[in-house]
Amino acid sequence: MKLTYCLSGHPTLPCNVLKFKSTTIMLDCGLDTTSVLNFLPLPLVHSPRLSKLPGWVSKDGTINLEKELKECAGRVFVDSQPEFCLPEVELLDLSTIDVILISNYHCMMALPYITEHTGFTGTVYATEPTLQIGRLLMEELVNFMERVPKAQSATCWKNKEIQRLLPGSLKDAVDVWTWKRCYSLQEVNSALSKVQLVGYSQKVELFGAVQVSPLSSGYSLGSSNWIIQSHHEKVSYVSGSSLLTTHPQPMDQSSLKNSDVLILTGLTQIPTANPDGMLGEFCSNLAMTIRAGGNVLVPCYSSGVIYDLLECLYQFIESANLGTTPFYFISPVANSSLEFSQIFAEWLCHNKQTKVYLPEPPFPHAELIQTNKLKHYPSIHGDFSSEFRQPCVVFTGHPSLRFGDVVHFMELWGKSSLNTIIFTEPDFSYLDALAPYQPLSMKCVYCPIDTRLNFHQVSKLLKEVQPLHVVCPEQYTQPPVSQSHRSDLMLELQPPPMPYRRCSVLNLPFRRRYERVYILPEVLLSSCGCPGRLPVLSYKQSQYFFGDGC
Amino acid sequence: MDRECVSALPRVCEVLAASGGSLPDDTSLEKLLDWFTELSEAGVSLLEACPCLLGFVSAVVSNDAASEPSVLSFTLKLTGLLAASEDGFKVLQDSVLDRVFDFRHWQAAGLWEDPCIRIGWIQGLRTMLQHSQALDFFVQADFTEPLLQLQTDTSLFVASAASQTLAHVLLLCQSVPSPEGRHRETIPVETDGKYSAVVAGFCDYLKKSLVPKEASQLHGSQQVLKLLAKLLTRAGPPLRDRLLLTVSDPLEELVTTNYSQLTLPLMDVILAAHSCGGGERVARLLSVMLSARNPADLVHAAAAFLRSSHPDPDNRARSAGVLLLPLDVITGLALLGADSSADQHRSSVMEQLRRKTSCVSMICISLTNVPQVTSTAPDCLPCSPAEIVSAVLSVLRLCSGDSPSSSPGCAEVLRNVTGSGRVQKCALDALSALSSSSGVKVLLVEVFTLLIQYLNSPASDPSVIQKSYQVLVKWVDVCADLSDVTEQLREDLVQVVRKRVCDVRWEVRDSTVEFLGHLAAAPASLASDKEKARNALECLPGGRCATVPLLQEALQDPEGYVRASSVSALALTLAPSWQQGAAPPQQEAEIVTRLLEILSQDTQGFSRRAVIRFFVAWISSCSSPSSCSLLTQSIPSILSRGSADLDWEVKVHTLELAELLLDRASESRRHPYAVTPDRTSTHARAVESDPVSMLNSLVDQGVFSALLSGLVDCDRPVGLKACQLLIRLRDTVCPLLLGDQDVSDALVSGSRASCELPGCGWAREVRRILGTATAPRNVHGADGLGPEDRGEEEEEEPAVRVGVCDALRRLRLDERLAVLAQSSDHVHNSPLSLLQDILTVSRTKTHLDSQLGQEVIVDCY
Repeated sequence: MKLTYCLSGHPTLPCNVLKFKSTTIMLDCGLDTTSVLNFLPLPLVHSPRLSKLPGWVSKDGTINLEKELKECAGRVFVDSQPEFCLPEVELLDLSTIDVILISNYHCMMALPYITEHTGFTGTVYATEPTLQIGRLLMEELVNFMERVPKAQSATCWKNKEIQRLLPGSLKDAVDVWTWKRCYSLQEVNSALSKVQLVGYSQKVELFGAVQVSPLSSGYSLGSSNWIIQSHHEKVSYVSGSSLLTTHPQPMDQSSLKNSDVLILTGLTQIPTANPDGMLGEFCSNLAMTIRAGGNVLVPCYSSGVIYDLLECLYQFIESANLGTTPFYFISPVANSSLEFSQIFAEWLCHNKQTKVYLPEPPFPHAELIQTNKLKHYPSIHGDFSSEFRQPCVVFTGHPSLRFGDVVHFMELWGKSSLNTIIFTEPDFSYLDALAPYQPLSMKCVYCPIDTRLNFHQVSKLLKEVQPLHVVCPEQYTQPPVSQSHRSDLMLELQPPPMPYRRCSVLNLPFRRRYERVYILPEVLLSSCGCPGRLPVLSYKQSQYFFGDGC
Repeated sequence: MDRECVSALPRVCEVLAASGGSLPDDTSLEKLLDWFTELSEAGVSLLEACPCLLGFVSAVVSNDAASEPSVLSFTLKLTGLLAASEDGFKVLQDSVLDRVFDFRHWQAAGLWEDPCIRIGWIQGLRTMLQHSQALDFFVQADFTEPLLQLQTDTSLFVASAASQTLAHVLLLCQSVPSPEGRHRETIPVETDGKYSAVVAGFCDYLKKSLVPKEASQLHGSQQVLKLLAKLLTRAGPPLRDRLLLTVSDPLEELVTTNYSQLTLPLMDVILAAHSCGGGERVARLLSVMLSARNPADLVHAAAAFLRSSHPDPDNRARSAGVLLLPLDVITGLALLGADSSADQHRSSVMEQLRRKTSCVSMICISLTNVPQVTSTAPDCLPCSPAEIVSAVLSVLRLCSGDSPSSSPGCAEVLRNVTGSGRVQKCALDALSALSSSSGVKVLLVEVFTLLIQYLNSPASDPSVIQKSYQVLVKWVDVCADLSDVTEQLREDLVQVVRKRVCDVRWEVRDSTVEFLGHLAAAPASLASDKEKARNALECLPGGRCATVPLLQEALQDPEGYVRASSVSALALTLAPSWQQGAAPPQQEAEIVTRLLEILSQDTQGFSRRAVIRFFVAWISSCSSPSSCSLLTQSIPSILSRGSADLDWEVKVHTLELAELLLDRASESRRHPYAVTPDRTSTHARAVESDPVSMLNSLVDQGVFSALLSGLVDCDRPVGLKACQLLIRLRDTVCPLLLGDQDVSDALVSGSRASCELPGCGWAREVRRILGTATAPRNVHGADGLGPEDRGEEEEEEPAVRVGVCDALRRLRLDERLAVLAQSSDHVHNSPLSLLQDILTVSRTKTHLDSQLGQEVIVDCY
C-alpha cells in the first residue's frame, strides 16, 4: 500500500501521512493558526476599548451569546483564549504512526497535539536548528497565551445550529469543534523529547524497509526536504523550499531526481510578490515614516525572515540617515533567537559560513546590537519601558495581531496617522488581522516576504528533477481565486498533478517492477518439492507464495 | 604648407618606401593621408607642393614585393587622392596610374589576398573618380567586373566599400562633370555608349544576385538590396528607370518568397521605387508587402512604410491597421472596428503572440510605431488616438498582471507579456508620445492612475519607474489645467514620491528627485484657482513646502548622483521664490550651509558641479542683492571653494559664476530706465560711473582672486575662460582709468583698486608672472638638502598688494590667450610632429636593429 492521508488543508502548513512499505510516516505537523483571527486580541495592558465591547445578540433576540461573542468595528469576535485549527485526527489512527518527519520549524507547531494526545509512540526526526528554533516558537506561543490568561472558554457558538446563524467569518469557519487551545510548556517539552536529530543527507533506516534522508531545502535554518525510499521506489517530499540566496544553506535539488512520486507542498503564499521588491518596499516605507516623525511596527515571527530584514536594514540604515533611530525587537525568545542564529554555522549559506572562520558573526545583527542600534527585550514590561524612545521601529509578535506584545503597540500607535504598521509575514490576511482595531489612523503597508518557491521556479525544478508523478494541494492546480486570469500562477504538468485536500486519501500511482525479497534457506528448502529444482515465487493480494516449480 | 613639413616630407617618403614597417603606430598612415586630404581640400596641388610624392608612389609600386601591405594600401589611396584633380590625373596617367590600379598585377603578386590592399584599391578608385577622365579610365580598364565581385567579399569592410564605390560610379555615370568642371550635367545613360557598359554590367549583376538561390546567399542579397535602395533614392530618371526595369521581376520574386531577413531592405527598395513613381507594378508590390506576408514581417514592413512618411492614404491606413492589429488582439479592444481585411490575419497574429519571443517583439514594434500611426490623417485611422491610448494603457495593465485581457483565448499571450520590462518600456514610450495627440486628454485620470500604480508597484524596475516619471511629466506638460486630476490622485502622487525618495535603489531615488525638479519646471494651473499659472509642483497637495524637505533630505544621500540631482531639483523648485524674494530665511540658511558643505567636502565631482550651477541659477534669479543677502554673503566662500576644487568642470562653473558677478557688478550701476543694450556697452557705461569701486567690490567678493587662480590653473579650459574674463575686465575698466586722467593719476587711482596676493598656491605663480615674487632664497641648508628632502613644507612668503589694473596689464593676457586657445595637443597632433615621429621611429629602429644584431652575436657565444 502506498497511500497518502491528507490531514491539513493548508498548503504551507501541511500534515500528510504516507503509508509506504509497511511503515506509517507523518510528513510535517503544521498548525493552522489563521483560526485565531476570529478571536478578540489579548491586550497586555488593560484596554478600556476592548473591555467595553458590546456582546452579540441575534437580531431577533433569540440567540444571546453576549458572554462569548463581542461586536467590534462592525464584526463579531469570540471573546476567549484563541484556539487553533488542528490537523485532522479522525481520518486514521494516529497511534499507528511510526515516525514524524519535520521539514522546518514552522511546520511542527502542532507536534504536541499529535505526540501527547493520540497515543503516538514513534520517533520524530528533525534537524537541530529546526528543533531549537521550533522550541523557541512554541515557547513564545505558550508565553503569549499564558501571560494573558482567560478563564472563560467559549463553546456555545460552535453549536452547528447556532454557528450557521452567526454573522461574517464565524459562520463560514470550518471544523470549529476540532479547534483547540494552546498546549502547555510541559506538553511542548514532552513532545520535543521525542525528537531525534538528523543531519543533511544522513540516512535513517526505518525497520529495514524504508530509508529516509533529509536534504537542505534553502528556506530557513535547518529546513529540509525528505527522501523516502525503498530498494526500488523513491518518494520525495518537498516542503518549504527556496532557491533565493538568503541565509540558509542552498537547496539540494539533484537528490530529488528519479523520484517515482514527488509530494509538493509549501510553495510561496504570495506568488505575485517578489521578495526583493518587498524588502525594498519595506525599507522605503520604514524610512518614509521615520523621516516624518512616526513609528514603525513590524508584526513578525521571532525567527526566519526577521534575520533577513535586519540584514537588509543593516545596509540601509546609514544610507537612509536612520543611524539614530532605535530598533527594538521584543519577544520572550528574542535573545535566544538572535543568538541561535549565530551559532548554527554549518546550516548557513557559504558566505555566512566563511565569516565564522574569520572569525566574525555570520549575521550583521550582532553589530547592530553591539552599536546599540538594535535592542531586544523579552516584553514591553521591565527595561523596555524605561529605555523606550520614539520615533522608533519595533519588531514584535504575533503577526496575527491577536496576542503578544504587538497588541499593545496597536493600541498605543493605532490612532496616529504618522505611524505605520508593515506586514511582512504572509500567513495572515492583513485586513482580517486589523479588523478588531478599526477605525485605525495609522498607515498600513503590506509587504509580504515569502522566499519559498514560486510557480515559475517550481516548474523549472520539476523539469530538472523529472518525477514520474507529482502530488500537491488542490490550490496549486488552479489560479488563485482573486486572479483567475493568471494561468501562470498554477502548476501545469504532464501528467497532471494529483491534487489533494483536507481529509483526502490518495493511492499513489507506483508501477511496481522489482521487489527485493529475503528468504531464509529453511523456507526455501521446505518449499521445494523436487530436489535440485528451485521453487517459484508468486505474488497475490500483497502476499508472496512459493510453488514447488515441478 | 609649413616649410619644415615640406623639407621633412621627402625623407619621410624615403623611409616609408624603404621600410614601411617602422611606423610610430597603426594610425600614422591614416593621419598622413588625412593631412594630404585636408591640404587637397584646401586647394593645394599636392604634386606641385610635394613633388616627392610622385617619386614615392613610383618607388613603392615598382618595388611592391619589398613593401609593407599597409604602405601599399596607403600608396593606392594616396594615388587616388593625387589623381582626384584633373591636373594630377594627367601627371599620373603618364607615369604610374595604370600600374597602381592594375588589380591583376596585385593578384599575380599574391598581394590581393590581403584585405588592406583590396580596400586601398577600392578607396583609391573612389577618391579618384571625381571627373570624366577618371571615369573614362575606369571604363577603359574595365573595373566594373572586379568591383562587382568585391560586393560579396569575405571582408565586410571591403564589401561595404565596394558597394559604396559602385553606387558612386553609377551616379557619376549619369552626371559626370562637364569638361569645364563647373557644373554637372545629366547624361542619358541609354544613349551614352561609353558608360552603358558599366550600367549594363551592373544590371546583369542585379538580375543574377538579387534573389538568393540558397540560404547562404541571403547576406549577399541584403547587400544588393541596400545598394539598390541607395541608388534608387539618388539616381536621376534615366538610370532609375533602367534599374527599375531590370529589378522588377526579381523584386516580385523576392516579395512572394517571404524571406524574413530581407523584409526591411526589400521594403526600403520598394519604398524608394515607390517614391520616385515606380508605377503600378511597384505599387502592387508594396501592397503585397503590406498585406500578404507573415504577421511578424508585416509589422516590420508596415513600420517601415509609416516611417517613410509617404503620403499614400491607402497604404498608410493599411499599415496603421497592421500595426494596431497585435494591440487589438492582445487587449481585446476593437481598435480596427469592422475591418474585414484584418480578420484574415487575426488568427496568425494570435499564433505569433502565443510564442514568447515573437510576442514581445511584435508588441514592441507595434508600440514603438504608435507615434507614426497617430501621425496618420484621422480619416485613414480605424480608431481615434484616445482609443489607442486606451489600448496602450491596457497593455500596461496586462504587463503588471493585474487585469485579465478581454480578448478570448489570450491566457497564453498574457503569460508572455506579464512582467516584461521591454514591453512596459515600449508602452511607456508610446504613452509619452501620445500625450500630444488630439482628444486624449479625456484619459488624463486613467493615465495618472496607471502611472501612479506603476510608480507604487514593488515589481517595477528602476528603469520602468524612471520612464513612468518621464511620461507623467509629459502628460503634465500638455495638460495646462490639472483640475482634471482628482485631489485623491494628486495626494497619491505625493505619497508615492515620498516613498520612492526613500527607495533602496539609488536609481529610483535619483529619478524621483529629478522628477520633482521637472515638475517644478513644468507650467500648470488649476482651473478652479484664480491665481495665474503656476508650476505643476505647486498644484500638488503641500506644493513646494512638501517637496523642499524631501530634496533637502536627498542632499544627504550616500549616492553622489542623487545628491547632484537633488541640488539641481532644489534650484528648479526654489527659483520662483528667489524671483519673488520670498524664500523662508531659515530654510535658505540650511540649504546654503549644506550646499557649502557639499562644495567643500563631497567626494563626487557631479555633486559639486551641481552646487555651483545652483548658485549660478540663484544669482541669475535674484532680483537685487538686498533680496538675497545670505547669498551675497556666501559668494566669497563659494568662489574660493569652487576655484580650489580639483575638478576642472567645477572650476569652469565657478568662473561662470564670476562672469555673472562681473555682469551684475556693471548692471547694478546701470540707469534704471536704460533700454537693455548688448552686454559690452552696458558694462562700459556702468563702469564709467565708478570703475574703482566696482573693481574693489569684485576684489572683495573674491571674483578677482578666482579669475587669477583660474588663469594659472593647470586645466586649459579653466585657464582659457579665466583669461578671456580678465581680458574683458582689462579692456573695459583699465582704459577708463587711463583715459581722462594722466597716467600718474591713473596709477594712483588704480592703486586704490588693489588686491592682496598671498605667498602660496596659485598666487605664487601669479606673483612670479608679475615679477613681485621675492628673490629665491638659498633653500638648501648646510646638509645640502632642500626643504622637500627634509620633509618640510615650502615656506610661505608674505602677502603683497598689487593694483588691479596694473596686474591686468602685466599679466601678458593676450599672449596667454593665444597659447590657451590652441588645443592642448596641438603640438603633438601637428603634421610636422607626425612626420618627425615617423623619422624618429625609423632612426631608432635602425639603431636597435644594429644593436640587436650585436646582442644576438653575444648570445651565440
